[in-house]
Amino acid sequence: MNIPPVEPGTVGPCPVAPDALQGIKRQQTNPARWNGAGWQAFVADLRTAGVELAESRAACGAYATDAGGTAYGQPHGVAIARSAGEVAALLRTAQAHRVPVTVRGGGLTTEGESVAYGGVLLDMTGMSRVLAIDATALTVRVEAGIYWHSLAEELRREKLDYLSAPLNLTSSVGGTLGVGGIDVNSARLGCSADQALSLQVVTPTGEIVECSDTENVELFQRVILGYGQFGVITEATLRVRPYTPLSMHYYYYSSLRTAIEDLQMLDRNDASDYSGILTIMDCAVNLLVAFDSDEREAAFRRDWEARLRGHGEFGFALCMLGHYALRPWKAGEALYLLKRKQAVFPEFRRPEYMRDNKMHDRSVVFSRAVWKHWGSRNMVIPDLATPADKFVAAVERGNAVCRKFFAHYTLYCVGIKLRPEHRPHYEMSCVPPDAEGWAYGCEFEPMIEGEVYSRDHFQAFKNAIYDIGVDLGASYYRFGGMMKGYIRRTFGDELVDKHLAMKRRADPAMILNRDVIF
Amino acid sequence: MAAAPFDHARCSGCSLCRLVCPMWRQHRDPRFSPEGLARARQCDATAAELTAPLEACSLCGACDPVCPEGIDLSGMVMELRRDLSPALPYRQALDALQAKFALAAAAAEAPAAGALFLPGPALRAHPSLLARVKTLLGYACATDDGADIALALETGGEISPARRRRFLDGLDGRTLAVGDGLLLRQLRQWLPGARLQSLGAALASLMPIRRRIASTDFYVIEPRAYHADYERLVAYYDRLRAETGCALNLDLQRIAMPALTQALPHLAGPLVDADVAQARWMLQGRTPQRIVVESLADRAAFERVCDIPVLHLAELAQD
Ligand SMILES: Cc1cc2nc3c(=O)[nH]c(=O)nc-3n(C[C@H](O)[C@H](O)[C@H](O)COP(=O)(O)OP(=O)(O)OC[C@H]3O[C@@H](n4cnc5c(N)ncnc54)[C@H](O)[C@@H]3O)c2cc1C
Ligand code: SF4
Ligand code: SF4
Repeated sequence: MNIPPVEPGTVGPCPVAPDALQGIKRQQTNPARWNGAGWQAFVADLRTAGVELAESRAACGAYATDAGGTAYGQPHGVAIARSAGEVAALLRTAQAHRVPVTVRGGGLTTEGESVAYGGVLLDMTGMSRVLAIDATALTVRVEAGIYWHSLAEELRREKLDYLSAPLNLTSSVGGTLGVGGIDVNSARLGCSADQALSLQVVTPTGEIVECSDTENVELFQRVILGYGQFGVITEATLRVRPYTPLSMHYYYYSSLRTAIEDLQMLDRNDASDYSGILTIMDCAVNLLVAFDSDEREAAFRRDWEARLRGHGEFGFALCMLGHYALRPWKAGEALYLLKRKQAVFPEFRRPEYMRDNKMHDRSVVFSRAVWKHWGSRNMVIPDLATPADKFVAAVERGNAVCRKFFAHYTLYCVGIKLRPEHRPHYEMSCVPPDAEGWAYGCEFEPMIEGEVYSRDHFQAFKNAIYDIGVDLGASYYRFGGMMKGYIRRTFGDELVDKHLAMKRRADPAMILNRDVIF
Repeated sequence: MAAAPFDHARCSGCSLCRLVCPMWRQHRDPRFSPEGLARARQCDATAAELTAPLEACSLCGACDPVCPEGIDLSGMVMELRRDLSPALPYRQALDALQAKFALAAAAAEAPAAGALFLPGPALRAHPSLLARVKTLLGYACATDDGADIALALETGGEISPARRRRFLDGLDGRTLAVGDGLLLRQLRQWLPGARLQSLGAALASLMPIRRRIASTDFYVIEPRAYHADYERLVAYYDRLRAETGCALNLDLQRIAMPALTQALPHLAGPLVDADVAQARWMLQGRTPQRIVVESLADRAAFERVCDIPVLHLAELAQD
């Protein structure tokens, strides 16, 4: 496809072309910075509208990158969201002056989707309060900039918990509803976006609209899983549930295929409340299974445990010993496994989170471990999301790519239960169009471990993973930002053009979250 | 010996520190968070440019143990406050207070032998409670408890090397119960051979007190000392909770929520609204019959927001 060059800082004729991020083909490049035309007049109008904007180096510099740490950009100014009214005034003024607005919640994207390449950075964490908890109806109304962890903190006082959320504590509700939100209970409860009952949204032209599956339905469908293209989520009503600690079991495999088959068997049969796979490369594959109640745990032990082909910790250690004794040239790998196990395992068993053999506050336990043992200033986590039947192939092929590019890496696999009535929400999202019942996702995360890799090395790695997706007809948890060149290849021209036309209607100046998808 | 902490350059922007930061909770503005400060430092922002958050930080230390990059965040605030300090409009008042404490310390006798108790000015202002603590601990009470040094640490004031030497002289290798959490944090670096105890943990370990902590109590840990020795104390207080059944002021990350968000300009002043809001938030969803505090400063905040008894830990022991 031949795309004509585009004036830096403007929106090109096809903002969803494979090379839409103007630069060298298939190498990483940040989008061009918006050129700042009319900024001062915009700022003056914004101040008149009563919206505070910080323009200092310290204020803007704090947003220079996202959790990925490979995309860099600076806004011209930062607005901290304080109310839907202020957000509406900001968007109206930005629309009139054609100033780009990039919305940021937790900023935990890894492809630069929450990085502002000029214009305004709208930080939603200023709106982060719990507005109402209804313990009878099991719902909560929150401001959308709230972190899932802050929500959990307040819900716990009422002996409640959210349903499912990313395992990192600091993603925001609004940012997550726009991209998905996968938890180790998603195979049972769906993704975080499925928990939203209704939203307050500020449209790109500055109207404040309440929407749900029964009110302003089309807007609701586009905003959920919509990567922030069709509006800023300012409030959300979510389903919640009674809090329970959980009992956790681990099974160890040396084969990815076998572990995935067992995971899918458990999910199909609703045999556990939580399930997922976390690996140390493809050598130690850990299937984790957990339960909210003793009854569910007992039923699992009775009906399903014997069918799992994984080992307990001790049995697996013996297998590994035998394996590496016969392969002395792999001693380095064995040593790495041992070291990693010694560092990571205690994190999941910290006594202050265990009571009567049950894990309390699983999201804290997991998130702390994730940040401590997987987090770093560079995080590159390409993924593949496929229907159940394509998943083994996707993971095995992705695993081969990881082996080629990095010495050490982790794979994280979970299922997402799909809700047939939410199909319209899933259009052009992380949920693959041909998935029935469950979609499965695998994140491929290299361990950077202080090594220095070029951005092009990372990009080549991500391309190799995403090419598998194109080949298999899969989708991705993340397909925006630096990976948006895959959007047409993945979703096809017809669907993309339909969404692009909707976007142009909703956002005439194409100001909201520019460079993310469109 | 613990590995040297890292500096702001390592901040990855995970925001875990924001979740526990009372200053962020109050302002909901990323500039008022340890992450905001670290990120601003990455852009070479100066202490003067960061004056507002540097003044607003209560040095509770909650951010230190949660930072997965091991950045000494409260240390960063203290260091920046030293740069900021000379320009503070209320510096003179702080210097006068520091000088008053230093004068009292100059008149102090050499510390008695054996285990020592360094109460700090808050407890000294309550002589009967001080006497009770002394009796309970059974330690000699130091007349020079480094109150001027603690204040300087907090406000970015100067500590002359001579004064520091005189204060520390003969303290290493001894058992010290320290009332001021910030001083305790610093002494862990200055006195590697000392056996340091926070006043709270020292008192809560005494049977006459521990026995009287009830399952209906809300027990408020003093955050600075707790976070300065987090790995050990998280286990210590988990045992206390298991043994007594009391509720603790720990959040889901097992970080101690401070009752006070007291900012630098109000250091010696009355409670501000933010403190009252913070204490209210701590009690939200809880129905304790009694609040037990390790720090006297927290008592005032709780007394403002509820009408259940608020006791200092030492008051639990029978006369
Ligand atoms: C260490 C780590 C672990 C992770 N673990 C998981 C995991 O277990 N499961 C999982 O699903 N994901 C995971 N992720 C991905 C990350 O959690 C998601 O990208 C996250 O949910 C996004 O939330 P956020 O608040 O950080 O959004 P941001 O990164 O701030 O924004 C995401 C997108 O939404 C837009 N946006 C933000 N807020 C709003 C709003 N209020 N209204 C409209 N648009 C908005 C932004 O412009 C951006 O395009 C992980 C990421 C990291 C770095
Ligand atoms: S010391 Fe306390 S108030 Fe200061 S930045 Fe850290 S958590 Fe926030
Ligand atoms: S916890 Fe540490 S690494 Fe994370 S944002 Fe705060 S300072 Fe940065």
